Amino acid sequence: MTINGIDLFDFLTAILATGLLRAVPLVLASLGDVFAQKAGLLNLGIEGMMLAGCFFGFYAAYHTESVPLGLLAGMAAGLALALLFAVLTVHLRVDQVLVGLAITIFAAGLTGYLFRDLFGGQNVSASVRPMTIRIPLLADIPIIGKALFDRQLLFYIAWLLVPIFAFVLNRTRFGLNVRAVGENPFAADAAGVNVIQVRYLAMSLAGIMAGFAGAFLAVADLKIFTIGMTVGQGFIALAITMIGGWSPWKIAFAAILFGMLNALGDSLQIIGVNVRTEFIGMFPYIGIMIAMIVLARRTSVPAALAVPYARGQR
Amino acid sequence: MGHEIASPPAPLPVGRGEIERLTCLGDSRPHCHSERSEESLRGDEVTGMRERKEKHVSTNLGEVLHCEPLVSTWGTSVGTTDDMTDGTATTQERAMVQPIVSMREIDKRFGPVRANDKVSLTLYPGEIHAVLGENGAGKTTLMNILSGMYQPDGGTIELDGKPITIGSPSEALAHGIGTVYQHFTLVPNLSVIENVVLGTKTGFVLNLSKGEQRLKEVLTEFELNTDPNVEVRHLSIGQRQRVEIIKVLMRGTRVLLLDEPTSVLTPTEVEGLFRILRRLREEGVSVVIITHKLEEALDVSDRVTILRGGKNVGELGPDDIASAGRAGARQRIVETMFGGMPAAAETFQQHVATGKTLLELSGVSAIGDRGEIAIRELSIQLRAGEIYGIAGVDGNGQKELGEIIAGQRKTTTGRLALDGTDYTNAGVATLSRAGVGYITDDRLGEGVVPGMSVAQNAALKTINRSPFSKGFWLDRKAIEANANTLIEQFSVRTPSAQTKITLLSGGNIQKLMLARELAMDPRVIVCNKPTYGLDLKTAQFVLQTLRQEADSGKAVLLISSELDEILEISDRIGVIYNGEIVETFERAQVDIETVGRLMLSGRAAVAGSAA
Repeated sequence: MTINGIDLFDFLTAILATGLLRAVPLVLASLGDVFAQKAGLLNLGIEGMMLAGCFFGFYAAYHTESVPLGLLAGMAAGLALALLFAVLTVHLRVDQVLVGLAITIFAAGLTGYLFRDLFGGQNVSASVRPMTIRIPLLADIPIIGKALFDRQLLFYIAWLLVPIFAFVLNRTRFGLNVRAVGENPFAADAAGVNVIQVRYLAMSLAGIMAGFAGAFLAVADLKIFTIGMTVGQGFIALAITMIGGWSPWKIAFAAILFGMLNALGDSLQIIGVNVRTEFIGMFPYIGIMIAMIVLARRTSVPAALAVPYARGQR
Repeated sequence: MGHEIASPPAPLPVGRGEIERLTCLGDSRPHCHSERSEESLRGDEVTGMRERKEKHVSTNLGEVLHCEPLVSTWGTSVGTTDDMTDGTATTQERAMVQPIVSMREIDKRFGPVRANDKVSLTLYPGEIHAVLGENGAGKTTLMNILSGMYQPDGGTIELDGKPITIGSPSEALAHGIGTVYQHFTLVPNLSVIENVVLGTKTGFVLNLSKGEQRLKEVLTEFELNTDPNVEVRHLSIGQRQRVEIIKVLMRGTRVLLLDEPTSVLTPTEVEGLFRILRRLREEGVSVVIITHKLEEALDVSDRVTILRGGKNVGELGPDDIASAGRAGARQRIVETMFGGMPAAAETFQQHVATGKTLLELSGVSAIGDRGEIAIRELSIQLRAGEIYGIAGVDGNGQKELGEIIAGQRKTTTGRLALDGTDYTNAGVATLSRAGVGYITDDRLGEGVVPGMSVAQNAALKTINRSPFSKGFWLDRKAIEANANTLIEQFSVRTPSAQTKITLLSGGNIQKLMLARELAMDPRVIVCNKPTYGLDLKTAQFVLQTLRQEADSGKAVLLISSELDEILEISDRIGVIYNGEIVETFERAQVDIETVGRLMLSGRAAVAGSAA
């Protein structure tokens, strides 16, 4: 069975494969963002952290031709911006929204400048070869086999992080501290939790994951850097965190959903549905808005989200 | 209370530092036990204490909570007095007992406000110590310093005779000082057990199931039959308070601070709390309770420290209380708290008002915040010159009723009329202009804007009118002059009109809110819990003011869960239950028991008494 000369099975496999791939940066950034938001930090700098992850990851990978080094550089860039965010908002108690937006704008400017300066604005590819793993037998299952079980190593790692993050959030002392700090920092402080430290750690994790997400995009997936290449994916990750009700499992589900919406748009073009690219490109964003309207009102935002904490103030 | 020889300690419940605590167990030195005057104790308690301390006998509560090390740590800590504690300690020797905590000359300022001015507090082992004082006396500030929330600007704190600094709440906990704050510090969407283990320093991975059984036992010990895995938000206020107490006790607390612990409790819950505090005292825990309820302080405490205006003004030890007797002690405390001025309740002249109906609600219904029906077909007629008291247990629609009259909540059925004119769902601004003054019970939430000054808050409701607004511009001078007038008229204690409102105590904020509403000269005044959290003097002032307003021809609706004050000043009383007024009485006809029954069980009580 074919549509416009394309095999239906191949078509479905392509949507699934692309969708899951598109979901990876979203789920990575979102997983980290859960910890930030649960700790009471509204990280609007996530877009900038992701973009910095893209650039510095790509830069390192371009010169070293190594995927792991590229990823490390991306994570370090995300971490650096996260620490900046933490110093300003947690320590100096500057408004989180302002700091977050400033970081995003700063990162856009910085990466654009450095890209023009270091690469002359020319699109070049990093010659890296991410390791792929084909899982025998499973990869032969029709439709889902190729989409799920014949992927690069990082793809598996990203999805394995979902249960790990869920475990850390719900079953560890650090996770408990994070959940308490974002809900009632006063209570956490009174119970002996170091609110400032927990917020620093949560923010660092969020920065590392945003950097990872960016580096995955630029190094492992596309192998190129273009100016502003994240095109709002950081903000989408932020929305996914909320849509997913701060639960890593639901977040994974939401990320896949939006990855699929994205992939569907691409695939429609491939099979020759005659719609403008830009129009199709709006799909996931409209989806986000609908999902926010339907779901976000029912979820309960961490009570201390975006509220700075200072002991002994009244 | 039965005392048994303690079996070898069972593993401690979830908590920190078990090992070092357990190592204290071998310590068999005799322990100091003469911290309280024996006159203040019943005989069996005295014997019980001796037995426990000499033979390491523990009550069940102690076993479950502390498994003895509590007493042992305490024993080692009073090592310097070892030689005198041979089981024959007398009242005279008590003077030599080392205090567990002594705070000396503590200073604390908030901006220009001196909340604590060289305040001292001495706490002995195994006593319940009440800190009394009117609003703004500095009680809570003092406690927040001991709990590590605030850093003092001056003074010293000694624990077991050694000077310490308490840099944070976790340091306080490490010193064995645990606090139950007035606004509870539980995380509502965490479970009971998660709240209890929060902040404890054990392994990275939580192992909740291990501690669950122990916690269940402790919960039962505290008469709490809740599942440790239930989220705290599902518990009642009284239950939450017990969880708070358990939480700090399980961290090895030997000094327990409680800030206004009874203000949110029902009388039965208060009794339960006091039962627990007495048992803890027998375990050797020192309890500080901060309160302005004099009777409760006398009921439960061995020693009373009185603060006034941020300063120490008196202390009554067990001997003083015993020799003065309860009535004498009460008299002395009242005199000290209010500077010799008797705070005796003024007798209000109540009467049956015959004025015209100023406010009429007929068949009004409304939906509450959680989507429930909060007010059902409620009708009230409020006449000029009367105070109509709404009595009821909290949460029976009182807040919603106040909000409807103020225009903050839409009604679904019925009609609201002012002086015969329909104002149903007219909105806040219209009703306010039509002469409704509303004093909310949520002072910081909706009564004032926390970030603004006293002056701005005082003008808030009429800021867009003359004289405060002149066209596009605000007249700062007029705003400040207005505030100064109100401050003087209502003797609001504030350094200046420019002071940030949150630096004022609750009582002074309440006075300012009252002043602001009355300045607008409303015809109908609605107050929800106007004396909540206020000391006797301020409360009397507020009630007196309301009475005067009614006598001058206004209509006052007093919503309160304090039956006493309703009976004190109302002309008519309506009992609200489940969103309905179940019965209305003229003051002269009120039978307190009937009102109480109606408050607790609504129409069922009526049916019951009719049958």
